Amino acid sequence: MKKKINVKDIGKIEGQLAAVEREDLTPLPMLLDQASAGPAIKALTEEQKSRYESSLDGVSAIGLLKPAGKEEEEEFVRKFLTGLKKLLSRENNWTFLQPLLLSLENCAKCQNCSDSCPIYTESGRQEIYRPTYRAEVLRRIIRKYLKKEGKFLSRFTGSNIDLNYTTVARLAELAYRCTLCRRCAQSCPIGVDNGLITHELRKLFSQELGIAPAEIHRLGTVQQLKTGSSTGTSPKALGSFISFVEGELEEITGRPFKLPVDKAGADILLLHNAGEFISWPENIEAFALIFEAAGIDWTLSSALLGYDAVNYGVWYDDVQFARIAVRHAQVARDLKVRRILVGECGHAHKSMLVIADRVLTGDLNIPRESAIPLLEDIVVNDKIKLDPSRNNFPVTLHDPCNLVRLSGIVEPQRRILRKICPDFREMEPHGVDNYCCGGGSGFAIMDNLNFPEWRSAVSGRMKVKQIINAFKDIPSPDIHKYVCAPCSNCKGMIRDLIARYDLWEKYGINYGGLADLIANAMVDLKQPLIKWEDGQSGK
Amino acid sequence: MWLLLLTYTCLLVFAGALTWRIIRYASLPLHLRWELYPVAHESNRPYGGSYLEELEWWHLPRQVNLWGELGVFLREIFFFHEYFRRRRSYWYFVYPFHIGLFLLVAWIVLLVLEAVLFLNGFIPHALALNFWLKALYYLTLVTGLAAFILGLLGTAGLLIKRILDEDLRGYTDPIDYFNLAWLLLIFLSGLLAYLLEDGSFAAREFMQGLLTFKPVESGPFLAAFIILLILILAYMPFTRMLHYVAKYFTYHNVRWDDRPNTRGSRMEKKITSLLQQPAGWSASHIQSGSKWNELAEKTGLEDKTSR
Repeated sequence: MKKKINVKDIGKIEGQLAAVEREDLTPLPMLLDQASAGPAIKALTEEQKSRYESSLDGVSAIGLLKPAGKEEEEEFVRKFLTGLKKLLSRENNWTFLQPLLLSLENCAKCQNCSDSCPIYTESGRQEIYRPTYRAEVLRRIIRKYLKKEGKFLSRFTGSNIDLNYTTVARLAELAYRCTLCRRCAQSCPIGVDNGLITHELRKLFSQELGIAPAEIHRLGTVQQLKTGSSTGTSPKALGSFISFVEGELEEITGRPFKLPVDKAGADILLLHNAGEFISWPENIEAFALIFEAAGIDWTLSSALLGYDAVNYGVWYDDVQFARIAVRHAQVARDLKVRRILVGECGHAHKSMLVIADRVLTGDLNIPRESAIPLLEDIVVNDKIKLDPSRNNFPVTLHDPCNLVRLSGIVEPQRRILRKICPDFREMEPHGVDNYCCGGGSGFAIMDNLNFPEWRSAVSGRMKVKQIINAFKDIPSPDIHKYVCAPCSNCKGMIRDLIARYDLWEKYGINYGGLADLIANAMVDLKQPLIKWEDGQSGK
Repeated sequence: MWLLLLTYTCLLVFAGALTWRIIRYASLPLHLRWELYPVAHESNRPYGGSYLEELEWWHLPRQVNLWGELGVFLREIFFFHEYFRRRRSYWYFVYPFHIGLFLLVAWIVLLVLEAVLFLNGFIPHALALNFWLKALYYLTLVTGLAAFILGLLGTAGLLIKRILDEDLRGYTDPIDYFNLAWLLLIFLSGLLAYLLEDGSFAAREFMQGLLTFKPVESGPFLAAFIILLILILAYMPFTRMLHYVAKYFTYHNVRWDDRPNTRGSRMEKKITSLLQQPAGWSASHIQSGSKWNELAEKTGLEDKTSR
């Protein structure tokens, strides 16, 4: 059973603050006799516990090493406070200061947001995952340690919190128990944004203390800036991926197929998430088939960063974000393309179309748009020949948060699916009210210790329920079903959920992209693009 | 006389602090885009779509439907739609409380109007021969009475709910109980003044005195009501009770701020200037003290992470 946790408990040095037990998690649909089924969260070994910080909930997302002694602990707290001051200053945080102060100073603590958060509800309402919990901790630290309210006033205003190593270490972990989906912000009548507060907390840890999950920072943005891609793919290695895709396309079309690469002056530079080359080349192939058939003047780039749309900086670090955004724009400028098109990658949509809009100036401010409206134009206006009966299987749509709630691209993908999928069905809720796949804000690629188990048990739980419910009238695994996820990170997460919850074996649930469905319906292909038997289910 | 002086002082503090808070929020630097859909001025896309759904959106004229924004604002302000939709048990109290507050403001405005009329020889009264003066008298009476009753019910309900509801109790500090109790006493003293001292009439007199700098006699309940009300006015701008001002900014400047940055625009000039500020962050991948635009140009320095 869960123990009652108060805001100030985060500063209690002894023991583990909370524990997510399997029996606390919400039951899964259609598995009524196994109410607590689904993956369990493995406890860390004693050796791991002694080495890594896990006193928040027994999970280690960022692999924070425990300090060697008292001095290191004090230094850690001192740096945190210095960073907090910077976070609240104009010079160091002009990028988000206005929304941050508005959210810190005006929360009515009405908890209207709590039920919007799938991590909070699906965990069985763990207090530490409540959207207001970490925000309230931060507010109390600011009041007590920056505004230096006296003893009486701090009791009166409720700033009774101890700032010590444990508090800061738990906050660092807690910053990675929220997918930044901002569903909570949507429900706030005042407009307070607890997702933003989490984002800012992550920035503080990264920009001042150099603390961030290795998969996002060292193996993510740093690797991308050095080698060209967060996957580690260099421009040279890209050549072999291109050859592989071209080979596949030859098989599908029955004729030689060349991908346009580094075509100067093309109308469109198409930026894919480079993860597609490695895990889902069929999505790259689908775009190539559709664009060729529609007569689009487009190109890929083999320049450093020109073949990887990702920008993990958007989740944790403004400086890394700006560096990548600028390089993407430089690639497009140097290729002299007219516009940049973002492929099926949710966070690349938000970073490139929305957030980078106020970073890129002058000749770097090149028109940028989503690939989905162009796909819609091609499909809805019959610019290529399609046969919807080729997609004669049930299809549901997962809405990536970055695409819908955070970029407002909601209907074009639906108009496409309504036209090419005879059995298209919405999951509930959907559109801007959607739930995150559970892998948002970097979770899908973070694999430290027992974090992947926490992720599939807690943050992805709501999505599993939504997917099963979308097909509840046809549970048989013999009927193959398709979850359309127009986002690489979401696909990675859904692949993980399908594997961990046995959704392929139990229900015949598979997944893939949006362009894949369009290409699959193209009438003049020798082979269908979607191959149910050879691994798209992520088995 | 001291009551008048206190009122003038509190009004001045309120006006000054409110202005300071508004200026403070308004003068914060332009931030990166962080909109959240649905955006209310996209009224052609009520499902939450944006202009980014359009092919080559930058060639199209940007449509901003201010009526759409106004509609959402009014729905939130006068109906508390998000609470109604998501948390009905809270709405039952937060709604009458806020409506009570709005009516209290309306009542004060009506009293000022009455006082101005009175000083010009037009006397709003139940027995006035002029229909409008008679209507104004009753409107003021009903507005005040409704404000006090709704406000009292709302604040009492919110206080009880914050004490009994475990979700709320853990996040309610002594200052929150104090503020709610203060508001409850305002509504209660106002109601008692109405019921026991014909407060409406005395409040009119007080308002006339306020406009003419002439002290007036008032009973204990009315005096308590006035003191509690003017003190909270002076105190409010320093607390999160001013969230009604913040709400303008959270919606207009954050949630609905989808203005694109175009080449050669004023916005671009602002961004260029912000990018030339130095950033003082200390992590090893950041060259502390460099300008933002320089930082964006540099990469690949020695990096240290947690593991």
